[in-house]
Amino acid sequence: MNKQYSLEPECHKICMVSDFFFPNMGGVEEHIFNLSQCLLLKGHKVIVMTHSYEDRVGIRYMTNGLKVYYLPIKVFYNQCVLPTMICNIPLIRYILLREEIQIIHGHSAFSALAHEAMLIGNLLGLKTVFTDHSLFGFADASALITNKLLEMSLASCNHCICVSYIGKENTVLRGRVDCKRVSVIPNAVDTFSFTPDPTQRDQSQITIVVVSRLVYRKGVDLTAQVIGDICDKYKEVNFLIAGDGPKRWLLEEIRERRGLQDRVLLLGALEHSQVRNVLVKGHIFLNTSLTEAYCMAIVEAVSCGLKVVSTRVGGIPEVLPDDLITLTEPTVPSLLEGLDKTILELKRGQFVCPYACNKRTEKYYNWQDVSTRTQIVYNSVSKEEPKSLRKILHSQLGSGVWPYLLVISLAFLILQFYEFWVPRKEIDIARNYKCSKKTHVKEKWNI
Amino acid sequence: MPQGVPPGGPKKKPWRKILYEKQAYPDNYTDHNIFLKDLKKNIDFHEVSFLEACLGANLVLQEFCTVVFFAVVYMYMVSRWIESWVLLYGMTFTGFVCFVFYRCIRLGKTPQEFTIDRKKHSLGHDVRTVLTFIAFGQLFSPVLHTLTDTISTDTIHTMAFLMFIVHLVFFDYGVPAAIVSKSVSLSAAIFASICLASRLASASEAFVLLALATQLFALSPILRNLFNHHPIITAILFLIDLHFLLLISSVGAVLFLSAVFLINLICPVLFVKYQKHKDNIYGPWDEAVVKDVDNIRF
Repeated sequence: MNKQYSLEPECHKICMVSDFFFPNMGGVEEHIFNLSQCLLLKGHKVIVMTHSYEDRVGIRYMTNGLKVYYLPIKVFYNQCVLPTMICNIPLIRYILLREEIQIIHGHSAFSALAHEAMLIGNLLGLKTVFTDHSLFGFADASALITNKLLEMSLASCNHCICVSYIGKENTVLRGRVDCKRVSVIPNAVDTFSFTPDPTQRDQSQITIVVVSRLVYRKGVDLTAQVIGDICDKYKEVNFLIAGDGPKRWLLEEIRERRGLQDRVLLLGALEHSQVRNVLVKGHIFLNTSLTEAYCMAIVEAVSCGLKVVSTRVGGIPEVLPDDLITLTEPTVPSLLEGLDKTILELKRGQFVCPYACNKRTEKYYNWQDVSTRTQIVYNSVSKEEPKSLRKILHSQLGSGVWPYLLVISLAFLILQFYEFWVPRKEIDIARNYKCSKKTHVKEKWNI
Repeated sequence: MPQGVPPGGPKKKPWRKILYEKQAYPDNYTDHNIFLKDLKKNIDFHEVSFLEACLGANLVLQEFCTVVFFAVVYMYMVSRWIESWVLLYGMTFTGFVCFVFYRCIRLGKTPQEFTIDRKKHSLGHDVRTVLTFIAFGQLFSPVLHTLTDTISTDTIHTMAFLMFIVHLVFFDYGVPAAIVSKSVSLSAAIFASICLASRLASASEAFVLLALATQLFALSPILRNLFNHHPIITAILFLIDLHFLLLISSVGAVLFLSAVFLINLICPVLFVKYQKHKDNIYGPWDEAVVKDVDNIRF
């Protein structure tokens, strides 16, 4: 990408594919939705492809005419479809041709649908981009298998996007991708919905907020221990915990044993829109994750004007400048030390002004910037030559899983058959959605 | 736009590994000085010498010899080359000697360790366990004897073979691995011996075989653990097995010898030879390990 790219609007027709989308909620879903919205506003055509969620089958339109295809495919395991590689070819091909898609953008390494669609897209001569949202180790058997699958899938992918530099290192190692083909584009946060409100804070107390799913990977064991010790040490500190999960009993247990019912409040699972109302009540945000590619939660907290104390794992050290975050090791003594330091800073009034936090977060991370940078990736891949079958097969040789070549060849033959059975020219082209309010929205976003 | 800045400009700030600042580098820029700097390989790797590998393989070999010993005894019983009462007396005597031995060694151990579970390991407790076993064993041996009676002998032998493989796979060789499960290993061995017991002539013989299985697979690992599975035990078991196998069939003896050769010589050689290919990658992306998950101070 050393060449300079013109910024004149170049319209792409993009298909976002992932198993994870609304009504499911999470980081990936949020990312796809916000990115699509921004790309729509920039004048691109974006559709989303996902599997059906219960009775949510067929085509739905979301905000600003974002067209979502809920494919009638059964969920197999963990919200993913069964990766058959060939069974959904007719359906996906039909949609891609009908929508005149040029770029396929798959999300999340766990999503089987994304990998399938990327393979079909490659064979149809479309460009493929893949965003990896998670980190993976190399030590256990499940990681070995997933890494091999990822390597096979990424061998013929045009470009990868990671959410942090650690994520890039991880993806380059796992997928054996050339590091020039991997861009780092962080997630963003809607700073307009995460605004600070210092009046909500209890001035006589110090409130520490924890917002996470209560699972082992989020370090609930550390949180539990830290809560007990901090409450013993400081009489003016309260805890506010939002989220639910299998480790909730641990927090309840420690609250019970230490008699902290009035100081530790467990709110249970919250809607994403409710998170802001909890965050603004706190002074300090505590994050004890054991692994994290980017960590949206700490950015949301900073956007609401909280000071963050977090473990130094994964991509977290890259996310925030030193005056907004206190980094600690993932151990109880280190976390306690970090919290001590931060509480002292708070008492001395050395915190950054909440509104300044919000402004700075907006400058660091906003969806406009993310979509502009993603657009640059789209521009560069759309200039690449389409890959021939020969080239696709050749790039697969490196992974060493040669039977996969047969799968690709079979997929190619099936596509050829459908070219004859349902010819391209007989497929109706879908009409584009005309957004009447586009100009109005554009004004709001200052584009 | 960061991409608009010409690369290699004179005033260019060095690239930093941060996300919050827009840097004058394209998004797919890679600084090879910093890239993968935190990558570590083979942390706490220690090279295993051939002797260590052989000692490790000895653990497997010892359990294998125990299984073969059981199979040999079964062959003798089913072919009526040995009277079951001879076996019973021999077993009781050996068992008693081993038990006395075990008690003595335990008494010799540090007293503190002993007092913690004194109740569990009192003599009365042990005697009661033995009596319970004899009473229930005698009561149920007719049932166990006929339990798999209707199944054909080939199936029984295949089943016993598979179950002993399961026993060997899941056996606790003292390595903390996820696959280790004492209960699965013991259940598999007992199931195999119940299968085999149905081929014997009478219920009392079935009882003797089951008692032997209990001694070999449930009790003897405890005793052998005290000696850290010393290679001398393996050698004695090996010689006994080989002697009786030679009497039964030379083919069996040859197969046994080649299995021993494979376990205790070829496998360690391969392990030592290929350990240089060990290539574990560690880095900041690994999940942090919470050290004291199980002892939270409530």
